[in-house]
Amino acid sequence: MSMIKTENIHKYFGKNHVLNGIDLEIFPSEVMCVVGPSGSGKSTLLRCLNHLERISSGKIYIDGVLVDHRENDKDVLKTDPKKVAQMCAELGMVFQRFNLFPHKTALENVMIGPVTVKKAPKAKAEEKARALLEKVGIVEKADEYPSRLSGGQQQRVAIARALAMEPKIMLFDEPTSALDPELVGEVLEVMKQLAHGGMTMMVVTHEMGFAREVGTRLIFMDEGKIVEQGTPREVFENPQQERTKDFFRSIL
Amino acid sequence: MIKLPADFFKWGEKMTAMQAKGFLDGTIVTIELTLISIALGLIFGMLLALARISKSKVLRGITWTYVWVFRGTPLMLQLIIVYFAVPLMANAITGNYLNVSMFGAAVIGLTLNTAAYLAEIFRAGILSIDKGQMEAAKALGMTYRQAMLKIIIPQTYRRVIPPFANEFIMILKDTSLVIVIGLAELTRVSKQFAASGEWKFYFVAGAIYLFLTTISTFIFDKMEKHAARYE
Repeated sequence: MSMIKTENIHKYFGKNHVLNGIDLEIFPSEVMCVVGPSGSGKSTLLRCLNHLERISSGKIYIDGVLVDHRENDKDVLKTDPKKVAQMCAELGMVFQRFNLFPHKTALENVMIGPVTVKKAPKAKAEEKARALLEKVGIVEKADEYPSRLSGGQQQRVAIARALAMEPKIMLFDEPTSALDPELVGEVLEVMKQLAHGGMTMMVVTHEMGFAREVGTRLIFMDEGKIVEQGTPREVFENPQQERTKDFFRSIL
Repeated sequence: MIKLPADFFKWGEKMTAMQAKGFLDGTIVTIELTLISIALGLIFGMLLALARISKSKVLRGITWTYVWVFRGTPLMLQLIIVYFAVPLMANAITGNYLNVSMFGAAVIGLTLNTAAYLAEIFRAGILSIDKGQMEAAKALGMTYRQAMLKIIIPQTYRRVIPPFANEFIMILKDTSLVIVIGLAELTRVSKQFAASGEWKFYFVAGAIYLFLTTISTFIFDKMEKHAARYE
């Protein structure tokens, strides 16, 4: 069964038709990479999945459960804010700009989700947070505030923070786009590790190397539509659509 | 050349124990008025700020009107209305006078006024926080309330302290306006003692106000530095 399934998702920002009928299914342990020119709707798609944006119409299923169903910008399925919050916690999100909480140390950033949302005991949450910081290779910075960390370190803390909620799926919204080039590698390394550990991931990215190496499926989006999809190898080496070919030509 | 009388600077010995006690009591009343009004105004102002940024049009309308009225009319008039007009209004409506003590009326007037200013300060503070912070909190599964309490509001402290300190000092000085309802705070005490021609007592009051505002400024500076520790 699919972890995420979307049916005919549309999203308008005013008159701007940002998502134009997206049908998508992500299966367990898949690493789905989403590429496309800026403004193609790939980030919006990700943000719609965990309610940071509300879809205009369509259906979203998570783990087989219908969690969002809207038509004409109105709820068809009544959504309870508490349930929405719970659902969001099942989707870990990593942002382009990290969005760490600046008034909390690295360790506190990782603990705050379980402590606040799951009411986990502090000692237990701390133990787990340290283990996660260890996993992303940054446990020695546990007591530093985000402002004292490099972009790459901040993003690794942000990944640990998302993992602390034990999400079923990790969503990455251009996780390396705000990083200095020399810091990109350390973040991709952590993501690679996660993928090898069997985590289901959806990654909006410009890192074609990562997509090719780690991705199990590649989606090319343009103008709010999925133009082409397949294994990264298929899409990179033998794109079928003109727009896909143009895009690869323009970036390589 | 103006010749100063010999006793011009020698006034300390002229303050009797009774007068010293009067100043002390007046100073305590001024401090109490300030602290109680600011503490109540803080809570009320925060609620107003949250209502002002809520999704409900009705709440937004009510709080907008509140701020409009209380910032748009003089504090002195507000104090007069609370102490003199409200009991009469109550009588006209219910047939019973509403008895409010001078101190109670002063606290109510000052609180209602400062809450309007604090609401705007808090609102600006909340709106200044990057919206990625709310998104990150929501992505972790926090509700709006949890996100506000744990993530957004704590981050506003550093930004809010300077304008809050400003408002605190304004209120500290504006407690002198309660003279219109007759409460024996610092300014009124000095006026009473000075009535016998001892003009120097006004300057005693001034020195005490200056002392209080200086200490406040010092404390707020410390708080601001502490709040900025993570930047």
